[in-house]
Amino acid sequence: MKIKVDNLGFRYTGGKERALEGITFTVNQGEFIGIMGKNKSGKSTLASALVGLIPHFFKGAMRGNVYIDGLDTQETPIAELCQKVGIVFQNPFNQISGAKLTVYEEVSFGLENIGLPRNQMIERIEEVLELFGIAHLKDRNPFSLSGGQMQRLALACIMALRPEIVVLDEPTSQLDPLGVEEVYKSIAKLKEKGLTVLLIEHKTEYLAEYSDKILLLENGKLKNYDTPERIFGTNPGIQAPVYTQVCQALNKPKENGLYPVTLKDTIPLLKG
Amino acid sequence: MKGTNPFAFKFNTMALVLIPVAVGINYVGKLFASVLKLPLWLDSVGTILAAMLAGPWIGAITGLINNIIYGLTIDPGSAFYAITSVAIGLTAGILAYMGWTKNWTLAFLMGLVVALVAAIVSTPINILLWGGQTGNIWGDLVFAAIIARDLPLLLASFTGELVVDLIDKVATVLVSYIIYRSLPKRFLIAFNNENKTEKF
Amino acid sequence: MKVYTLYVPGKTYIHKMNPLTKLLYLAVAIAIPFIAPDPAITMACFLIGIFILGWAKVLHRVIYLLAMSILFISTIFIIQGLYYPGNTTPYLILGKLTFYKEGLIHAMVISFRLVNIMISASVLVLTTRPSDLISSAVRRGISPRLGYVMSSVLQIIPQMATTADTIMDAQKSRGLETEGNLKTRLKAYIPLLGPLVLGSLVSAQERAMALEVRAFNATGKRTFLQNEEDYTVSKAINAIIILALILTIIWRIYS
Ligand SMILES: Nc1ncnc2c1ncn2[C@@H]1O[C@H](COP(=O)(O)OP(=O)(O)OP(=O)(O)O)[C@@H](O)[C@H]1O
Ligand SMILES: [Mg+2]
Repeated sequence: MKIKVDNLGFRYTGGKERALEGITFTVNQGEFIGIMGKNKSGKSTLASALVGLIPHFFKGAMRGNVYIDGLDTQETPIAELCQKVGIVFQNPFNQISGAKLTVYEEVSFGLENIGLPRNQMIERIEEVLELFGIAHLKDRNPFSLSGGQMQRLALACIMALRPEIVVLDEPTSQLDPLGVEEVYKSIAKLKEKGLTVLLIEHKTEYLAEYSDKILLLENGKLKNYDTPERIFGTNPGIQAPVYTQVCQALNKPKENGLYPVTLKDTIPLLKG
Repeated sequence: MKGTNPFAFKFNTMALVLIPVAVGINYVGKLFASVLKLPLWLDSVGTILAAMLAGPWIGAITGLINNIIYGLTIDPGSAFYAITSVAIGLTAGILAYMGWTKNWTLAFLMGLVVALVAAIVSTPINILLWGGQTGNIWGDLVFAAIIARDLPLLLASFTGELVVDLIDKVATVLVSYIIYRSLPKRFLIAFNNENKTEKF
Repeated sequence: MKVYTLYVPGKTYIHKMNPLTKLLYLAVAIAIPFIAPDPAITMACFLIGIFILGWAKVLHRVIYLLAMSILFISTIFIIQGLYYPGNTTPYLILGKLTFYKEGLIHAMVISFRLVNIMISASVLVLTTRPSDLISSAVRRGISPRLGYVMSSVLQIIPQMATTADTIMDAQKSRGLETEGNLKTRLKAYIPLLGPLVLGSLVSAQERAMALEVRAFNATGKRTFLQNEEDYTVSKAINAIIILALILTIIWRIYS
């Protein structure tokens, strides 16, 4: 088991209500988990708890436990956890450290902090820049990049620390369509490499296409944790992918009685 | 900030990240004042806000770095007044800790104290470096007027500086106070190093 | 992107010198005229500064800095010439105003000092990338967290200046009056600065989170991507600079 969340609850200092309550779930090695929920339902709070920002950065009242690869997040400093689990946030600008003058140096920020020897640093920097297609930008100032490029840089910086789990908190919500496309190509690479990924996203077509399972939050509680087909089939309150909506309207379920959630599964149904 | 040891010399990441932002607020505060053609500098709103939010040390470091960076980039002479900026940050931070951000009257008094401290600290620098002049037209007119009457240099220099500082620093502290009071509560606690996560 | 720095890239020996040596030079070159307030010594410091700037091929940049201080220097001559407490010997009489010799000499010393400060500071500022200065300081034991703060200031200010423009446009288009009488203009200040402060605090929080998850608070020993330049010669230069300081102090004691 890669991640184990056990009866997690959290209330921010000064916050009136609990942002999370009674959350229990597990994630296996290599799984791709989508996380959905309305605004303020606690998605980002859950993400913070997974990477140790709760309880080390955000203060408040916490209940329950989060185990990352067997490590209890409450007892492990973030500087250590970040080599097990990385996170990319919404805003590309605010993830640039501001302390480095080039893209290449920017990636080194975290590696210098963990004290990685110089030769290994160079090896890792080149590897991640290549992987996310930003090697040609290595001498540019990080702030001069486009949103999509900056977000891939953020991903590269995190991946250089070699985590086995990556949390993505609405990584494309502030990007233009081209940027969204670029970032999803990079996310596909994470999946290919067999990383454990947790993706918070409102665009259900992407969620359905990538996710093995979807975790649905409502008012800080876990409403449902299941395969995309069942999530979209049994929760009429949430917006399903267009493919599902079309097949529901045409009344064309799959053999198992559920409606498809991806284009790939929809085509044979509509042909046949 | 109230309720914690104001002198604990241990900063969380939030407080450290506040420093460059506060230096930026100083810069933009001054920029807006000149765009609006106000007869004020308003160039230390960031230092005072940092002190109100994160305590005297962060205020002091903000002041220090602000003037060093100015010295390195725009105006080498301003590095000497780093001491004044440090004093402003310390003073505002201590007064904020004592609860002087509670109401308008106290905030106004804070402005007066900050102006006084700024003038007291700047005067020796002015005397040492430029024979007592302030480097500002109005301040220098006052300085010249007093010294022309054969009054002591120290008095002339101090008065010249105080004239310049008084209105500007009171205005700066009031502006900072208005903004401070309008911030969401979560920012008022985020810089506090002594909040702990507990169980419920 | 606009970066606020006076640094002029170059390949001269001065550019390649250890930034901390230049910092030491700056401190000593500023201190000497105060320790020994003799016009000849100040002049010597000034000329050495000019020589180094010429060597580094950045002399033309200093002219601009000096031009900015001409106004201030003139007021020093006027005020000290007229009112310097030690004034006794009239030197120049213009209508009702009498300029005294002592005051003018004093003004000269002060102005030389001012110009000397600008020249010496320029040696450091014009030939050193701020980031190099900071990383040298971090290698010598300044806290890396403080180092981060210093280097990020230089990048964050331009960001905030850009945001300031955006806010200005947005508020104007919503009908905020930024011109008119003083009261109107004063009233516009908070609507401009307030949103900038709030926005930048939100960014600060997000940036703090992003730094944390990149091991910003790690406690172990750090490493550096850039190899430190080999600054062996600078030991000798450091020694010369410190010797100059000691000689000045001795001169002061015996004169
Ligand atoms: N730093 C904070 N201090 C206090 N309360 C907070 C803080 N951050 C979030 N909250 C509160 O916690 C609750 C959950 O917020 P969270 O950001 O986790 O939701 P979310 O699902 O990510 O929302 P969104 O879709 O807007 O990103 C909200 O009520 C929010 O106001
Ligand atoms: Mg969120």
